[in-house]
Amino acid sequence: MNKRKIFTSILTIVFTMILAISVQAGSKGLMMATTTSTDNTGLLDYLIPHFEKQTNISLKWTATGTGKALKLGQNCDVDVLLVHAPPAEKKYIANGYGKDRREVMYNDFVIIGPENDPAGIKGKSISDALSAVKNEQAVFMSRGDDSGTNKKEKLLWKNAGIQLPDKEKWYVQTGQGMLATINVAQERNGYTMTDRGTYIKYQSQKDGNAPLKILVEGDSILLNQYSVLTLDPKNCANAKYDLALKFSDWMASQNAQNLIKDFRLLGQKLFIPNAK
Amino acid sequence: MTQTDLAYHLKNIQHYYENTKVLDIDDLKIRKGSITGLLGPNGSGKSTLLKLLAFAQKPTMGSIFYNGRIEFPFSPTVRSKVTLLTQKPYLLKRIVFENIAYGLKIRKETKFLEDQVKKALLTVGLDYQNFAARKWHELSGGEAQRVAMAARLILKPEVLLLDEPIASVDTESAKLIRKASLKARDNWGATLVIASHDLQWLYSISDKQLSIFKGNIFSTGMENIITGPFVKTDEKSLVKKLGDGQIITLKAPTQEVCTAVIRKKNISIALERQPAGGVDNQLSGHIISMLLEKKNGQIMATISINDLSLILRLSPDQISHLDLYPGKKVILQFHSNDVEWI
Amino acid sequence: MDFIVAGFIKAFELLISGDSSTWTAVWATLKVSTCSMLLSIGAGLPCGFLLGYFDFKGKKHLRTILDTMLALPTVFIGLAVYAFISHQGPLGEFGLLFTLTGIAIGQTILAFPIVAALTASTIESIDHDLKLTLVTLGAGKRNIITTCLWEVRFGILAAAVTAYGRVLTEVGISMMVGGNIKYHTRTITTAIALETNKGLFADGIALGLVLIMIAFIVNLSLSFLRKQ
Repeated sequence: MNKRKIFTSILTIVFTMILAISVQAGSKGLMMATTTSTDNTGLLDYLIPHFEKQTNISLKWTATGTGKALKLGQNCDVDVLLVHAPPAEKKYIANGYGKDRREVMYNDFVIIGPENDPAGIKGKSISDALSAVKNEQAVFMSRGDDSGTNKKEKLLWKNAGIQLPDKEKWYVQTGQGMLATINVAQERNGYTMTDRGTYIKYQSQKDGNAPLKILVEGDSILLNQYSVLTLDPKNCANAKYDLALKFSDWMASQNAQNLIKDFRLLGQKLFIPNAK
Repeated sequence: MTQTDLAYHLKNIQHYYENTKVLDIDDLKIRKGSITGLLGPNGSGKSTLLKLLAFAQKPTMGSIFYNGRIEFPFSPTVRSKVTLLTQKPYLLKRIVFENIAYGLKIRKETKFLEDQVKKALLTVGLDYQNFAARKWHELSGGEAQRVAMAARLILKPEVLLLDEPIASVDTESAKLIRKASLKARDNWGATLVIASHDLQWLYSISDKQLSIFKGNIFSTGMENIITGPFVKTDEKSLVKKLGDGQIITLKAPTQEVCTAVIRKKNISIALERQPAGGVDNQLSGHIISMLLEKKNGQIMATISINDLSLILRLSPDQISHLDLYPGKKVILQFHSNDVEWI
Repeated sequence: MDFIVAGFIKAFELLISGDSSTWTAVWATLKVSTCSMLLSIGAGLPCGFLLGYFDFKGKKHLRTILDTMLALPTVFIGLAVYAFISHQGPLGEFGLLFTLTGIAIGQTILAFPIVAALTASTIESIDHDLKLTLVTLGAGKRNIITTCLWEVRFGILAAAVTAYGRVLTEVGISMMVGGNIKYHTRTITTAIALETNKGLFADGIALGLVLIMIAFIVNLSLSFLRKQ
């Protein structure tokens, strides 16, 4: 009967799928939590195949905010972290969640805004720029998601001696990723702070005619340090500490550092290796 | 009548829906191979009785003997032997063939299935070629009812219960269903219980009539029901006023009830009023119908008295003697003491 | 506006060129949503049947709970499942986090109340005459149940399609539990979220179109089955 044939074939497809799922569940390898910036820029897609080939260790990653990445590590749901929030990282290790912290590369943050620059911050120091934004009540976009970038931004307000304008109307918290936040800033004609990598990506999507321009850059406080963190085996016995350490070592190796140096997005360097 | 002559014997049946009593039968016997007509207004308990007889429900109290044994719903000894056709039968969402074959399939009697379906369809006047492959929604109301009938006839049931089987079908279908139901008795001796508003059919086909009113059964067939409101005149009697000013006097009930029954045997018919002092109820009305009862050759006459109709059984002699015919004005007489309260 | 047009073009490019990240996301989506739909039918159908077929004490409360579960937001289910299958959670040892199995569990929880509630409603809507008819045709209790289920097959099919549509399009659970890992747990919806985050609206729309196509094909084949 025709009906029976259809039924059998559906059943077969379904069982194949279930089988495929259960096989997939057992796969072994390193699991990393990282920040959206390393993923969105394509750095990991470029870097990790090299790592896997050279060490025979497979690595998967989930990209999220630094805050959640740290939490995933604390819950032992991943084996290794690639994050960028040095003060939080140090505290993390002190709390006994992380073990080794290795600085591997950095990029820098910039303040971007509309070309007509309504608050007149162009060329100012970062603290002066933020004060001007506050005085003019110019629209400022914040990630507001406790990511590494968001942590950095909060630190900048604090350094400028300004209480976080959490409830101000002009201070908009998107709760989204960096690129999404930049796009919101563009729609609202506002300022925001971003890592340079994401900005380059944004710029490339606008065919070199981006409405938002870099207005403040170069301050040493704007440096954005990325580190690999292994988890403390005392907290996470199940985490693959040895493999994590291998990854950490590899990231600091001359080979990987060169790869990072050579990584370009649209002809521009994104990350500067600085492993010691 | 010995036990084995009986298809059914109901003893002390009481049935409730939630807290309302819908059926109250002390004793009811239905003979094997008989055709019983079930009469009564809507909501009187006919359908409930048929469901109990079909073992589709268990009575709240009392027992039903089938072929001399107490039986219950889903009992294997009755499950495949008793079947019921309702006014709006449900057709399975399958083709006609599958609908008719369903009962045999679950009995795993699938030998000569196609022939049997063909025969069953023929009994209800549908041809196999045209109808077997039709889907359930491709049938008219009458055709659907005939398919449902065929689905029951194919089972050759010992008991065929019909609940208003022709109430909502076209005349042609009704004719075929009437014919087919008689075949069930004539061909394999099935016991039939039929509830219908088609009195002519019931009186012509049935060996015996039962009437139900408010869950009470009258094994003498249809009886006269007089509903309230009644007005109390003194301690001993009540009256009911008819629309044209005539008055019915009734002996007051001993308990709190509101419906009166006057059995047809207690009513007599006359052309003129008697002088006062004899019977205390003399009502004037018109004969509206006269039906022949097949079994005993008697005539069932319905007399309309303003907004009330009463029935009584007449002999052919009486009819010719009094020269009765529908439309004739007559006087009905009965005694107030002959009332029964239910 | 041009990114909408670009999205359409891109959708065909991605599919025709056999772009591996697109196809793995499509495959992952199909696997996980089919699996969770089947699981939810496996659990939801009997529960819905019991709830619709029988009368028992506390049935009303169960219905209320079920109806409330219909409104569970996916991110909450995602969070709850995460809490259970995280290594710190009670089911941590099975290593289900960041796997399609984990997503399937969450999606099953999402689809279960849909299947159960819709099945219960369909069963409740069964014509009262059906049971009477079956009894009087000599059906036993088991015959009645199977025939009833077969009678409401279209209602159950509709429940399955609704559940499939729900799990196919959800993003909260896939993101929270699956982690949007490329080539592994990235489904079409999480990929859309990612592309949107990256500002690649055209790619997001392309993937959205792929998703709609899948939904369309699924519904089409089911309506074909229904005609059979």
